[in-house]
Amino acid sequence: MPDITNTNAISTRRHFLASQGMSIGSLALTWMLHQDKAFAAPEKPPLERPVYDLTPKATPAPPRANAMISLFMQGGPSHLDLFDPKPELTRLSGTNFSGEIKYDNAGQASAKLLGSPWKFRPHGQCGMELSELLPGLGEIADEITLIRSMHTGVNNHGQSINALNNGKIATGRPVLGSWLTYALGTEAQDLPAYCVLTDPGGLPVIGVDNWTSGFLPSLYQGTVIRPTEPRIPNLNPPPKLQGRVQRRYLDYLDQLNHEHLQARPGEQELAARIASYELAARMQTAAKDALDISKESAATRAMYGIDDPESQEFGTRCLIARRLVERGVRFVQVCTGNQNWDHHGGILKQLPTMCHKVDRPSAALVRDLQQRGLLDSTVVAWGGEMGRLPVIQNESNIGRDHNTYGFSMWVAGGGFKAGYVHGATDELGHKAVEKVVTHCDYHATLLNLFGLDHKALTFKRPNGDASLVDGQEANVVKDLLA
Amino acid sequence: MNSRWLLCLVFIAYAGVPLRAAEPKRKLTYEQDIRPLLKAQCFQCHGEEASIKGKLDLRLVRFMMKGGVSGEAIVPFDHEESLVWQRVFDDEMPPIDKKLTAEQKQLIATWIDQGAETARPEPETLAAGLEPTDEEKSFWSFQPIRRVDPPKVAAADRVRTPIDAFLLGKLESKGVGFSPDADRLTLIRRVAFTLTGLPPTPAEVETFLKDESANAYELMVERYLNAPQYGERWARHWLDVAGYADSDGYTVKDAVRPYAYKYRDYLIRSLNQDRPWDELIREQLAGDEMVKPPYGDLPPADIDKLIATGFLRMGPDGTSDPSAEAKLAQNDTIVETIKIVSTSMLGLTIGCAQCHAHRYDPISHEDYFQFRALFEPAYNPAKWRTPNARLVSLWTQLDREKAGEVDREIQKINKDRASEVQKLMEATLEKELESAPKELHASLRKIFETPAKRRTAEQLKLLKSYPRVNITPGNVYLYDRKAFPALTKRFDDLVAKARAKRPPEDFVHALTEIPGEVPVTKLFYRGDIQQPRQAIEPGEVAVLTAAAGKPKIPVDDPDVPTTGRRLAYAKHLTSGKHPLVARVLVNRVWLNHFGQGIVNTPGDFGKLGEAPSHPDLLDWLADEFMSQGWSLKRLHRLILTSTAFRQSSQRDPKVEAIDPDNRLLGRMSIRRVEAESVRDAILSASGKLTPTLYGPPVPVAPDEGGQIILGVDNRDGAGRPTGKRGQLGDAEWRRALYIQVRRTFPLDLLESFDAPLMSPNCERRTSSTVAPQSLIMMNNDFVVDQSDVLADRLMREAGNDPADQVRLAWKLALARDPQPEQVSSALRFLKEQEADFTQQAADAKANPPASTKRKGPAVKRDPTRQALASFCHVLFSSNAFLYVD
Repeated sequence: MPDITNTNAISTRRHFLASQGMSIGSLALTWMLHQDKAFAAPEKPPLERPVYDLTPKATPAPPRANAMISLFMQGGPSHLDLFDPKPELTRLSGTNFSGEIKYDNAGQASAKLLGSPWKFRPHGQCGMELSELLPGLGEIADEITLIRSMHTGVNNHGQSINALNNGKIATGRPVLGSWLTYALGTEAQDLPAYCVLTDPGGLPVIGVDNWTSGFLPSLYQGTVIRPTEPRIPNLNPPPKLQGRVQRRYLDYLDQLNHEHLQARPGEQELAARIASYELAARMQTAAKDALDISKESAATRAMYGIDDPESQEFGTRCLIARRLVERGVRFVQVCTGNQNWDHHGGILKQLPTMCHKVDRPSAALVRDLQQRGLLDSTVVAWGGEMGRLPVIQNESNIGRDHNTYGFSMWVAGGGFKAGYVHGATDELGHKAVEKVVTHCDYHATLLNLFGLDHKALTFKRPNGDASLVDGQEANVVKDLLA
Repeated sequence: MNSRWLLCLVFIAYAGVPLRAAEPKRKLTYEQDIRPLLKAQCFQCHGEEASIKGKLDLRLVRFMMKGGVSGEAIVPFDHEESLVWQRVFDDEMPPIDKKLTAEQKQLIATWIDQGAETARPEPETLAAGLEPTDEEKSFWSFQPIRRVDPPKVAAADRVRTPIDAFLLGKLESKGVGFSPDADRLTLIRRVAFTLTGLPPTPAEVETFLKDESANAYELMVERYLNAPQYGERWARHWLDVAGYADSDGYTVKDAVRPYAYKYRDYLIRSLNQDRPWDELIREQLAGDEMVKPPYGDLPPADIDKLIATGFLRMGPDGTSDPSAEAKLAQNDTIVETIKIVSTSMLGLTIGCAQCHAHRYDPISHEDYFQFRALFEPAYNPAKWRTPNARLVSLWTQLDREKAGEVDREIQKINKDRASEVQKLMEATLEKELESAPKELHASLRKIFETPAKRRTAEQLKLLKSYPRVNITPGNVYLYDRKAFPALTKRFDDLVAKARAKRPPEDFVHALTEIPGEVPVTKLFYRGDIQQPRQAIEPGEVAVLTAAAGKPKIPVDDPDVPTTGRRLAYAKHLTSGKHPLVARVLVNRVWLNHFGQGIVNTPGDFGKLGEAPSHPDLLDWLADEFMSQGWSLKRLHRLILTSTAFRQSSQRDPKVEAIDPDNRLLGRMSIRRVEAESVRDAILSASGKLTPTLYGPPVPVAPDEGGQIILGVDNRDGAGRPTGKRGQLGDAEWRRALYIQVRRTFPLDLLESFDAPLMSPNCERRTSSTVAPQSLIMMNNDFVVDQSDVLADRLMREAGNDPADQVRLAWKLALARDPQPEQVSSALRFLKEQEADFTQQAADAKANPPASTKRKGPAVKRDPTRQALASFCHVLFSSNAFLYVD
């Protein structure tokens, strides 16, 4: 077997693989294509195309965070029932709301206020008030920042997802994870820089555009890690061809290829391809190892709720997220299923179910990162694209309609304050009124933690430089920083 | 979309003009040594444009001596006193990031110290802008095509065609010659892949091997030239150059072009019929101008002429996407089309003169807009047509009348539907009112009846307490989940029934002009569409007119309904006198036989391109091609029957030392098969290949994880898959050529094996060797499944003896028989692999694994078959399969 390191010289004559900004590309492949620098060296470097790669990049300011895990609660968890206790709402429960309300569903609209059916109590040293539906979160209250004043102001799922993901309401712009990998590269040499762990309950609304690199080169798009095998397409052989039979396949292939090469002395490209099979096998092993949680201790698995059928699946993905970040992956998004938090009806039953699914794993992720000394440099963010209204939707099967004017999310690690509650909604929890944090502010603050400047991180476009906030007002929220 | 534009900008910044280190012995001249580098880095501000910075014009030495506002710019014999040298030495100039190199600075200093000489007396007067100098005009590719007789060579016995004499001439001058002929098995595989992109079948191999006639090889070539797969293969080559895609590109919307495929079919048909390329060029550039508008009730030959103009509609066109800035997107459509036409037909990067004179080739800013003016009557910026508006309907008059009737019927149905919906809303209101106090009913009803925008503040306030009264046609379905869907279904059915009577409408994806619309093309200062300057008339790039004469391009030809601009230009290009068209075309054909061109930059015959390795051969081929009636098949015969093409690919160390890159063709180069052929060859070997020609493309779509697969795009408006994928049937196994080219949805197998991403076109494919290709060969479902299919075929066709199965597999996949020791090592592999599969099955029985879902019906595990499939899998992955000797 030729030494892999030699192949660089062998393949210097191979053509450089130009990155093509327009292409969404085949997800799993793109990162590999660009990781595989050994074989992608330029034949000659005459015309300096802009070169995009994933090598680690220095930041303009010293970074506090170097990785991020986003736990994406698509659909819009009810802040009123989880994070934002409202005694006044409880007091007025059942009466008609007199204010201005934007409904998404007029057919089931009502003006009747609904106090939270669940109890809140203070947690931790900081006394953060949280709902009884989130006992796990209660245990890490002292590690997180709870933002109670989020605002996007666009009442549809798709638009608000886009606002939080790519800075504007339009679909198809590069998302946060793409900007981060574009700016920072990755520390993981055999793994995708930006991973998306999707849920068996279907893709979030707007689908694959949730992790598009938009107009950024396609190597910055998210690589989907599927909820079921094969978690990464083409990475592993189908089960029947794994293990010894694949090894023998590779060995016999190698034998044939060497016989073939021997009859064609001096054909360096043939030698390079022989080596590329070995490199492929190594990448296969690295990714497989990152996704294999079987070596984790029983205690760790239990902490993530993997012993509980309700939280087992989500817990597994949270644990994989940690393993990826540990190996140098820059950005990981863990999704919940399509509209799983969109409780227009049936909230009494469905909200507890969703909380059961994600609460322990989410808390465990923060605790685990902390115990491993990774929390200081890893941002964990938990939230959806909206919250819910204080009034009832559908009295026959109680639920709450969309609310993007005031909702909650929590963040932890990576330079965010710990044990801190930021901002507030009005007394009924309808609109953010104190220390409002818009999606643009949120993005500016995140980039700041990564040592980046939201105004300076740009990409050249025909109409001028484009950025994540793209000329919208955006302020780093200093109060959120430790 | 912008990468090529960026590339163009980088050209500017690139300091690698082929300048040699100053040779002190030689007398440097301005024209030959200094002007090219000043042109590249300085002329934009100092000479090229109407306003000249610091009044310093660098276009003539005379002007430099005179100098600008800072005084004289050069002092002959004293570079230190010369302002030009001081400024560039201190890197004050040029005021951009890219400065002159030390070597370039030295060159200027030497030239000044030698006296700042010119090659000849400078002209008395100089027109504004940049005229090509004599040095520029004398560049090789702008000269007329000159037929030279092939040289006499020593190894006359190796000369089968004049091509061989040209090549041998050079080889012998280096003291070497051709390699011996390759064996028949190598030759048939080489010819089959070259002409059809497919491996030869065992039957084809056998016919060739058994043919004892003296011209067995020529007969074999003829069989492949006459195969319909020839047209498919060679259409694909031109589709690269034309930037063929089944989608608009430009923005992420990337709308589908459902009729673009007819252009692909036109090429396949034309190539298989060996239609002359001068005709094809004229049709592709101006087919619409040969057909009398309006385009209705057309005979097939005229329809073909319109389809041919699809060539000019292949570039990205984002003008149907409202998210794109309209004027910019329109301009980019023209810009990309110019790039495609100029690189494909002329082998010139005219696109680089969009903002300023071409830095290296004598193509002025005015030339660019003359060229652009050829296309503006069709791509009229003043009256832009979006892609759909450009489709030409193939309906006849009768079809149109019938459709009109149906449309009126559907209008009527929709009117009825609206009134039924209104009734439903009213009924819903009555139900909703039940939960409101009686005394409010009248006011609430009033609110309901008042259009939303005209409601009073008081009404809005009341509505807040009774939000459910706000019933609209759009939300009424939310109140009653039965009545509305029933109503919808009833009317949808009626509409569907009516629509079924509508004659199906078919379209051509064409470029056309609207008679009478003759826009005035204006030069955009620095390429900025906001800064139009003088009007420009259509014409040929000035420097090319020296060889071929100045064509008469009408502004508006009174003899044709259209302007006749493109038609006149196309005739000029195919007149037989044009210096570039035939050279560029034969060079591409050559490239696709040998893996490299005589000019190895097939889209750039300019100064930054590579020089021809065999200029006489290139000219001889171009001339021969034209005098043989622009027939591609004749050119193929000429090349394929040469000794050069029949050589062995074995490297000879002696020749290697002289010619490591094989530019002299003292052997054949080993080549990896192209992306499409990887897939097609697998299907051909497995027997699954569906040979159907022509027709709409096989669709591609993202699956649940966003991976691109073959299948109908089933995502809903929110981007979610709906689960309705549809069956493709045998279409799934068609040649890769027929797979839809969605610019944003490249198929992983094709993309990773270097199928081009069309932005806007591909002048030359790369051939990379990267690990993802290996991962695909190792693990991709398609490859694994087809290995199973081939295993089944072997068991069916070769009987039960594993040795026979191995031999047949070798023939099907590699087009040859295995050596006895290869058979025995294969049998060893089969045996060991079978043992492991047997063990695996036993383990699985003992410990049933968690359900592993894979597509398709459960196949009973048969370790013998599994081992055979694994063997087939090895063959598909092997270099012997992926490379052609």
